[in-house]
Amino acid sequence: MSKMAKIKKEKQTAWQRFCAWVNGDTADRPLMPADPPAPRKTKTDKNKKQKTVSSRKEGIELNRFGSIYRICAVLIGVAVVTVLMVTVLQLPLFGSPDNPAVNEVVERYVEKGLEETGAVNMVAGMILDYRAFDTFGESSVLFLAVTCVTMLLMRDKNNTSKDEDLLTAREHVIEGYEEDIILTKIARLLIPCALVYGIYVVLNGHISPGGGFSGGTIMGSALILFAVSFGMIRMSRFFTYATFKKVTSCALLVYAASKAYSFFTGANHLESHIPLGTPGAILSSGLILILDICVGIVVACTMYGFYALFTKGEL
Amino acid sequence: MENVRIIAGIILVAVGLFVYITATIGLFRFHYVLNRMHAAALGDTLGILFVLLGLMFLVGFNFHTLRLGLIICFLWMASPVSSHLLAKAEFVTFKHIKSECEVVEK
Repeated sequence: MSKMAKIKKEKQTAWQRFCAWVNGDTADRPLMPADPPAPRKTKTDKNKKQKTVSSRKEGIELNRFGSIYRICAVLIGVAVVTVLMVTVLQLPLFGSPDNPAVNEVVERYVEKGLEETGAVNMVAGMILDYRAFDTFGESSVLFLAVTCVTMLLMRDKNNTSKDEDLLTAREHVIEGYEEDIILTKIARLLIPCALVYGIYVVLNGHISPGGGFSGGTIMGSALILFAVSFGMIRMSRFFTYATFKKVTSCALLVYAASKAYSFFTGANHLESHIPLGTPGAILSSGLILILDICVGIVVACTMYGFYALFTKGEL
Repeated sequence: MENVRIIAGIILVAVGLFVYITATIGLFRFHYVLNRMHAAALGDTLGILFVLLGLMFLVGFNFHTLRLGLIICFLWMASPVSSHLLAKAEFVTFKHIKSECEVVEK
């Protein structure tokens, strides 16, 4: 009975330790100890001496693991560096006119780009059709960056004291009362224009210069202007952390799903059922419009998320 | 007629560049924040107006002229407001502002 309980307890502790590790802080081994390290134990303290022996044992185990970890890290590093160096030696000379990247790829893009992607804007056709996987990586990098910033800077019950909470509450009250009249009047004029212009740039990504990244930046700056001029409380009426999470992850998922469809059909020589349309129309060039919208949403949310997290620590 | 248009455009761009040079010199020569900001804001409004008007003349009167006009509208709305906010921040945070300039008490 006691054994069972022990096993159960150990399992629980393992799971708890895992949870604590995910949360970034363990009870027995804090990442950032708040208290200064304890003074050295004197020889006369018997109880404490025993404790130091046990902790020293743990320390030795940790050290052994640590040395293995270090050796593995060095080996893996050396292996990766060797592979990369060998690959670099195999590559054709940089900048020489006979390179396949200079001739064949460019010719293919320029000559068959419009026909194959249906996008008048050749850059959009390149980054969202031929190299859509790369763009997916870029959007994921943005999403990951804002996730990491959220983990580090987001204020919640665990990392704020009561005084700080009072301070932020007071800031909110001040924001609510002291509206700068010049800023709010101009913001009322500019925010709708900026949002509409951003949407225009996103939707015209495959026709004219622009696209998801630039249009998303414009929309994000409109959101930032709203947060600056009207305060975080009014912002939270239509844009909270929950909406941020839902919108961004949905956009990334839609991107992944739609591009996976075209990869699947393309790799298996199946016919894609998405019409390319007439080049130059808004509803043309297949998936590029959808991908542009997804990228725009991710970029806009990321821009605003960075601003809000770095200034206020909340979304 | 064509020559007159181009010459007018060049003169306007030159005037705008002159305003910009003045603003830049002011930005570097002045010492106090509000003075420097005044110089920078001058360049951002008057200079950009002259340069963009000159570009309007140079490009001829078509759809691009309208776009340049919209850019002037946007900059004239955005730039003075940002200068105003910067000045307000300086006014709120600087303790010894009365030693630098006159302050009207409300």
